[in-house]
Amino acid sequence: MGAATHRTDITGKTERNDFVRKNRLVAVTAAASMTMALGACSSGAEAGDGDGGPATGEVRVWLVGTDTPDEARDYLKKTFEEQNEGSTLVIEEQAWDGLVDKYTTALAGSDAPDVVEVGNTQASAFTSNGYFSEITAEEFEELGGSDLLPGFVEAGDWEGAHYALPYYAGSRAVFYSPQLVDAEPPATLDEYVETAKGLYDEGKFSGVWWPGQDWYNALPFIWENGGYIAEQADDGTWEAGFSSEGGIAGLTQIQDLMLNASNAPKDGQETDLQVPFCEGKIGYLSAPTWIQWSINAPEEPETEDGVPGCASTYGGDLEAFALPGKDGGAAQVFAGGSNIAIAQKSEHRDLAYEALKIMLSDEYQSILAGIGLIPAKVSLAGEVPQDTSIGAAGVEAAANAKLTPATPKWADVEAQTVLQTQFTRLANGEDVEQVAADLDAEIESILNG
Amino acid sequence: MSSLATEAAAPPAPAPTPPRPRRRRFPTVPWLLLSGSILILGVLTGYPVVRMLVMSFQEYERAQVMGMPAEWVGLDNYVAILTDSGFWEVLGRSIVFMVVAVTLTMVLGTLVALLMMRLGRKMRLLVSVGLLLAWSMPPLSSTTIWGWIFDTEYGLVNNLLTRITGDRWFGHSWLLDPLGFFTILTFIIVWGAIPFVAFTMYAGLSQIPGEVLEAAQLDGAGPFARFRLVMLPYVRTIVTVLVVLSMIWDLKVFPQVYALQDIGGDREKTNTIGVYIYQMGMGQGHFGMASAIAFVFVAIMLLLSVYYVRRTIKEEEL
Repeated sequence: MGAATHRTDITGKTERNDFVRKNRLVAVTAAASMTMALGACSSGAEAGDGDGGPATGEVRVWLVGTDTPDEARDYLKKTFEEQNEGSTLVIEEQAWDGLVDKYTTALAGSDAPDVVEVGNTQASAFTSNGYFSEITAEEFEELGGSDLLPGFVEAGDWEGAHYALPYYAGSRAVFYSPQLVDAEPPATLDEYVETAKGLYDEGKFSGVWWPGQDWYNALPFIWENGGYIAEQADDGTWEAGFSSEGGIAGLTQIQDLMLNASNAPKDGQETDLQVPFCEGKIGYLSAPTWIQWSINAPEEPETEDGVPGCASTYGGDLEAFALPGKDGGAAQVFAGGSNIAIAQKSEHRDLAYEALKIMLSDEYQSILAGIGLIPAKVSLAGEVPQDTSIGAAGVEAAANAKLTPATPKWADVEAQTVLQTQFTRLANGEDVEQVAADLDAEIESILNG
Repeated sequence: MSSLATEAAAPPAPAPTPPRPRRRRFPTVPWLLLSGSILILGVLTGYPVVRMLVMSFQEYERAQVMGMPAEWVGLDNYVAILTDSGFWEVLGRSIVFMVVAVTLTMVLGTLVALLMMRLGRKMRLLVSVGLLLAWSMPPLSSTTIWGWIFDTEYGLVNNLLTRITGDRWFGHSWLLDPLGFFTILTFIIVWGAIPFVAFTMYAGLSQIPGEVLEAAQLDGAGPFARFRLVMLPYVRTIVTVLVVLSMIWDLKVFPQVYALQDIGGDREKTNTIGVYIYQMGMGQGHFGMASAIAFVFVAIMLLLSVYYVRRTIKEEEL
């Protein structure tokens, strides 16, 4: 550009030279500040005093997303401030999007929060790298011990020590409105697929709603068909199993649903599911059970940041069933949920522990159970209301839930959105075996890397 | 060229005495005035750059962020990157995107500047306000809104196309095809970059004395010839600076790509270098590797800008 060889000699030469020189500096500075922006990944981590903080202070609790209801938040704050006179508790809400990235720096900095919620499959990225304060055996017993959900305790352990404890488990159920689906809940997974395909009307009505990036709902199909995500061999290396016979069968079934039963965006995310559902465009919606509160909500939100639902139409008579397994019964579904931990750099570990104690108390956990979340304690499972089909479906599905591979590297697979990317290809109609091979190669390279 | 970088960040070293006939004493006051910004640049830019360079020779993962001592691995990070075909793919993609975006930005920006020169006062004000609004829009907001416009289910574009053509466009994903993704990304970036180019070009072009253009016209130069032979040479330095800056901005573009990937599309096929570094560092916790990539990237950018700036200076000094 601007390679004009014609030069005119009208403007002052020195002035122009100065201009160039100044702008050379500008260019270099711009390049340098770019470097800064990209390089400022980690700020130096100074050692903070882990214990022996002052007796009173402010405890910051980071909860993620809107899953924790306001009632529980209020209870936590009120109880904590009553029990710990002079101290205050602040809840700061974080977003699930980019959570691992955020914690990586926030928990290492000098302004770290005290108590943090983290996705159960993400926990190991932090437990294995010293981000969380160890929960001693006595503390563990006091907080619930063997009553705590075993799968989630395991997800928060590292080399035999406890770091992150269960907070709650989510459960997935298949939602539908009898106004739109006039059929008995299917008894087997194959029947589910057939019914969904039968309901499908291209461009108008989806038998199931399957946005391409949704991988949580894909896992049951892999597991039920006998496939697996990744298994550890005797020598410690991980072998991914999407290309196994069961894996291919599962992926084929998934693609069948994506292409022949769903109008969802082929590269969409599993967000704001209540919008298409409330439009009456969805037959079966497989989603976390708390979605019921978004669907069965008034059309005009009651609170300022509320989301409009459709209580007067398709939300009013919402029903649900547990995703059926290959041979009947409930399918093995992905056990979503959260763990809770004390940050290594918490300035008031004693107070943080007090807050943790409240969050795992029977009263607090019962509030969570009341809205359909599976509580962190096995003994409280009965607190989940089961008088509706939704509550019953949630509990039934949770009983058969499974986790992602137990390795700290798994969080990297998620952070790199490997599954989202590959399932998008699947939704786009690409060859199943090719996608499976790519999935396996990528997962193995991360888990064994 | 590395001396350029130190020139910007180094503490008040001996001032470069200009090889001009006019003799001047040591400019104490200017350096004194500069010391503040040099200090800030040193802390905010210099330190992170040095830190990044150090990290690029270390195995630096999440545990090291929490204070574990980092292990020196020499050039291992660099070797790993430069032998990884993924890196070259991302780099090539970024460069192609940059060339397209910069060309479009410069051409369209210049056209808007030429338009502004011919407009009346009121229309010019209107255009300026419009440009300023586009420019002041934070990239995340504008990307989100562009995302809505091209939304698969509820987007304006799909809605309009359905109405105009009568076919069903709902459900058509614009971002799924990498080419579509980059077309929309180009929209967003070019749309956001035009105002700066247009204003700067307008400022430059409006400084050209009217009599020169008039003389050229009398000598029989048509509009295109006047632009190419009179106007462009006048603003050549401005163009160079704009091109270099745009190249740097479009190469390192981050928020737009990151946000757009969240909306849809295939990440693997749409990563640009900025997002790639972020994923490597923040996403996966390989800070050493990410630093090494960032450093290779900086070297490439410096080469690009130095080439352009030097060529201009040479032409000036002929």
